[in-house]
Amino acid sequence: MKNEIKHQLIPLGLTIIILVLFEVVSTAVFPALGVKNYRLPFNILIVLYLGFKVESPFIAIHIIVLQYFHSLFSIEGWEMGTISGILICMIIGYLKELLHFSSAFITILLTQLFQVFWFIILAAMLYMKMTDFSLILDKFYRFIPESIFISLCAPVVFLILDRLWGVSSKEGMLGEEV
Amino acid sequence: MKILEESVQRQKIFFNVAVLALSLFSLSHRQFSFDRTTAFENFMVDMFSPMQSSVTYVKTRTSNFFEHYIMNINASQNNTKLQKTVADLKDQVFSFEQVSKENKRLKELLQFGGELDLQKVLAQIIAWDANSDFKVLRINKGKADGIELQSSVVTSVGLVGYIFRLTDHYADIITILDPNNRVDALVERTRSHGIVEGYSRNRAIMKYLAGTEPVILGDLVLSSGLGNIYPKGLKIGKITKVERESYGITQSIEIEPVVNFSTLEEVVVLVGTKDEVKEKEWKALDDAEGDEQ
Repeated sequence: MKNEIKHQLIPLGLTIIILVLFEVVSTAVFPALGVKNYRLPFNILIVLYLGFKVESPFIAIHIIVLQYFHSLFSIEGWEMGTISGILICMIIGYLKELLHFSSAFITILLTQLFQVFWFIILAAMLYMKMTDFSLILDKFYRFIPESIFISLCAPVVFLILDRLWGVSSKEGMLGEEV
Repeated sequence: MKILEESVQRQKIFFNVAVLALSLFSLSHRQFSFDRTTAFENFMVDMFSPMQSSVTYVKTRTSNFFEHYIMNINASQNNTKLQKTVADLKDQVFSFEQVSKENKRLKELLQFGGELDLQKVLAQIIAWDANSDFKVLRINKGKADGIELQSSVVTSVGLVGYIFRLTDHYADIITILDPNNRVDALVERTRSHGIVEGYSRNRAIMKYLAGTEPVILGDLVLSSGLGNIYPKGLKIGKITKVERESYGITQSIEIEPVVNFSTLEEVVVLVGTKDEVKEKEWKALDDAEGDEQ
């Protein structure tokens, strides 16, 4: 992956299109099918992908742009997701040597693990704002099924994003060949 | 090579710190009662929302197709000729019933709040918020239809919420189930005041109600009209839980909204005369002062 921002504009644009499609599915298709209490956070999945696989000094910029587009579909705003995303990417940066996407199962497991980190950071921020633990508990009950679904989607979504970001094919759909 | 790596690392740290600082600054200055959209956001939301709207359209058409055709074809296999005629007639009757029901529903919606001196804009729900933490609905009407920020949203049954974010052709409603939405309310029977706040997926809580107020299960809660967002007298919900503690000066009240949010399809936005109402109130006060002098 080339480090100049100009080489990353096209993959970023395509990733935004994918995010928008996912958001439409999450906000309109699933509620139309009767799933109204759960919403799938595809923005988290895409940000985690950037942290896991994209080597770039502009990750923070990519995250803020993606979160901004996510905020067009949610009143959540872009700020909290951006803060969580950058902190998670920093954690991933420190653990990168230990993370090997050697199978679909590992990809699912790591995605689930970092979603838990994401939840903890976001819950801490929400608690500071709301000072009401029952809301965090309510959020946690929704987080369990939502995050499991997102983790199960991870291998396929990562395969698509691998192609867009030109991540080495040896790191393919199920991760790098060991 | 090492110098290049160090430079990339430095760049990364710089961008991380800069974006984190920007996010924290923006978060601390964020307005949680409404969100004024920029021209770019306005354009983007108006561009993406038709996709959400088309999903609702496709869903309606598909369910109509299945209800009107596929089911009837299956039924007609038993007795082709007669069943077909019956099915056609049933189909027509079903369609008329649906139209009649829809007419009745829309009529009720538009007649609702006849005593309120407000314009009513009928809107259809096209999407829900992308984050399940927020109980927000997107409707297919916006600034171009006369809707304003913080306009109240109701159904024939009661209060839904208010307009939080607005673009030319779409608007986001923050419902009374959202913890960011607070309604100044009163209990109909006892006239006791409190603040209704979103709590969970289908419940709200009433805060700051004095522990001595004799509220009971089933009491109706209405909007009080204070706060300049909601008109007075809109039904919010019924009290389903009362907890009085031996200590403390307030009681914990849980409310079940009268509006069934899981089956909500259309809503009415009350618009237009918030400023006029305020003007009338000021004028009435001025007149009263003039009479006293």
